[in-house]
Amino acid sequence: MQVLALLLLLSAFLLMRANRLASAVHILLVQSAIVAAVCVMEGTASIHMLVAAILTIVIKVGIIPYALLRVVKLLRHEREVNPILGPNASSLVAAATIVLAYALIDRTLPAVLGWETLAVSLSLVLIGLLLITTRHQAIMQIVGLITMENGLYLIGLSTTHGLPLIIELGIFFDVLVAVSVLVILTYRLKKSFQSTDTSILKKLKG
Amino acid sequence: MRELIYLALFLPVAAGIVTLCVRKSWLVKAINLTASVCTSTLLFTLIVQVKEAGTFMYGWLYIDALSSILLLVVGILSLTATFFSVSYMDRELSEGRITFKALKRYYALLQMFIFTMIVVLVVENLGFMWVGVEATTLASTLLVAFYFNRSALEAAWKYVMVCNVGILFALLGTILLYYTQVAAGSPEVDALSWTALKAMSGKLDPMLVKLAFIFILIGYGTKAGMAPMHTWLPDAHSQAPSPVSGLLSGALLSCALYVLLRNLVVLEGAMGTGFIHAALLLFGLFSVAIAIPFILIQHDMKRLLAYSSVEHMGIVTIGVGIGTHLALYGAVLHILNHAVAKSALFYLSGIISQQYDSKHLKRIRGMFTALPMVGTLFMVTVLAIVGMPPLNIFLSKFIIISAAFANGQPILGFGLLLLLAGVFAGMMFYATRMVFGAVPSNFHPKALGVSALVACFLSVMWIIITGLYLPPGLEQLLDQAATIAMGRG
Repeated sequence: MQVLALLLLLSAFLLMRANRLASAVHILLVQSAIVAAVCVMEGTASIHMLVAAILTIVIKVGIIPYALLRVVKLLRHEREVNPILGPNASSLVAAATIVLAYALIDRTLPAVLGWETLAVSLSLVLIGLLLITTRHQAIMQIVGLITMENGLYLIGLSTTHGLPLIIELGIFFDVLVAVSVLVILTYRLKKSFQSTDTSILKKLKG
Repeated sequence: MRELIYLALFLPVAAGIVTLCVRKSWLVKAINLTASVCTSTLLFTLIVQVKEAGTFMYGWLYIDALSSILLLVVGILSLTATFFSVSYMDRELSEGRITFKALKRYYALLQMFIFTMIVVLVVENLGFMWVGVEATTLASTLLVAFYFNRSALEAAWKYVMVCNVGILFALLGTILLYYTQVAAGSPEVDALSWTALKAMSGKLDPMLVKLAFIFILIGYGTKAGMAPMHTWLPDAHSQAPSPVSGLLSGALLSCALYVLLRNLVVLEGAMGTGFIHAALLLFGLFSVAIAIPFILIQHDMKRLLAYSSVEHMGIVTIGVGIGTHLALYGAVLHILNHAVAKSALFYLSGIISQQYDSKHLKRIRGMFTALPMVGTLFMVTVLAIVGMPPLNIFLSKFIIISAAFANGQPILGFGLLLLLAGVFAGMMFYATRMVFGAVPSNFHPKALGVSALVACFLSVMWIIITGLYLPPGLEQLLDQAATIAMGRG
């Protein structure tokens, strides 16, 4: 369990350093696979967890990275050029975020069973948020969004063994549709602006 | 009853799918108009049944007076939006701005959007409501991006990113709420069930519930366009096709507020009303205040209307924040009134922008001379939206403000009146310039679509009639809805 938690933290760290789109998507793929492994470990032989793990693998390890990589192929020359935080500053902020997450969980929910997982999940949510706010590339922001979602999923898992299965199915479905919509938009951005750097989106004001 | 709900959910989906398969333009229109009329009739039937027989509950399905009011909003607006779309999209098609393929995509997405909003309103479980609200964002994103030009793409990207992050916060809040529910010893069958949570709200851990409240308020507040999370709203509303802008502003914002109201009932039961009401008043006042400068200095007609939506969501939030029965009655009535009036304004702005070939406020002049009928309808609706008596919004604004005074918050009441005066000045300044004045020399009127005018007429009739006379049945529903929103229903 602790190994998986550490691996998750590592994945978040690497995401903050990545500036090539394809590597970010690959890290996301590994991260989602670890989430699926946590599912299996936490819910020993419960059907609910098994279904959740399978869905995580199909959707977040399979379909979503596949779709993202296909778009990335079209964006040959795109990379994160001028992130608001450079790789070194990002690492520093990521480290601070993780400490913050641990401190927060330690103070508010010390009694929870899987508090280690919980602290890691909160770190994932915060780092996902950081990715969305400090990266300009559309794909990077999508990766951030899914990292956030992964973190939230683990928070649910470690506090309450997950939301009821039927609601989780709904969430999985939403994530799937969200990524398809975002992929369509990214593709259109490339077509209209010849770039997927979202910092050029600043015409609408006032 | 159950069958009716299933049918109301099934119809838009079926219509959407069939639309994608047909090859004739008239058939697309016929299918969507029929589906829309049937769906709305079904929704109205549901409302009447709830009024006669009381709250309906079956498994995951749940409709009470509060959801009935919102179903009324979605019922009216999906009807008027489809009627309006027929003429609006015909012109877009004939002027070559869109292709027939895009037209089919438009109607299919529109039906999906209507479907997701109905889902939000007929489920009982807070988890499902979250899934529904997220689905509304996804269905509407591609409608915002519909023209796929640069501005539309920018608006859609901001919309989907901001609202997705916001809604993920709401999910965090919902998970926390579920954790407190499990910790309080609730069985798993009741997970996130609204009625179960409401019944046991006294047993939930108030500290954690407070944390959940913050996330839920930020999350659904983002979707409801509350400042300072409203940044996506003017972009999305101004770039979407006009019928969609009307639905976004009138129905979608209202649905997000509805889910917030449902959550608040549980949260207030657990942590008391003090902190919640203070936070709501703060967000509400801020939303009204922040809209004023953007309404006073504006260049785009649809952005003007969008900022007015931020203001009106602020007013509803203030009503909820005052929290007395009278204030909540006003807030729920205001949701209904604003939905009809604002959607009508967006429809009219669609006609105007097609007639003048511009959304720019400077280019739109002399509507009374150039387009007397549209100009009159526009003026009446603007007068309604700024709260002139005897039109409907005056009534709900008046109730909310008098509730503030009655609840011993005169500073809030005066403050709100002052802010509303600022909004009034801005809206009236631009409206009078648009309606009066000389017609631009290069203006050539085009034929007005019949079904668009029907949609606008219906809305304006509603605005005038409900300003003067609220049917007793509706009044009774509103009264019950306010009681439910207080947590006593």
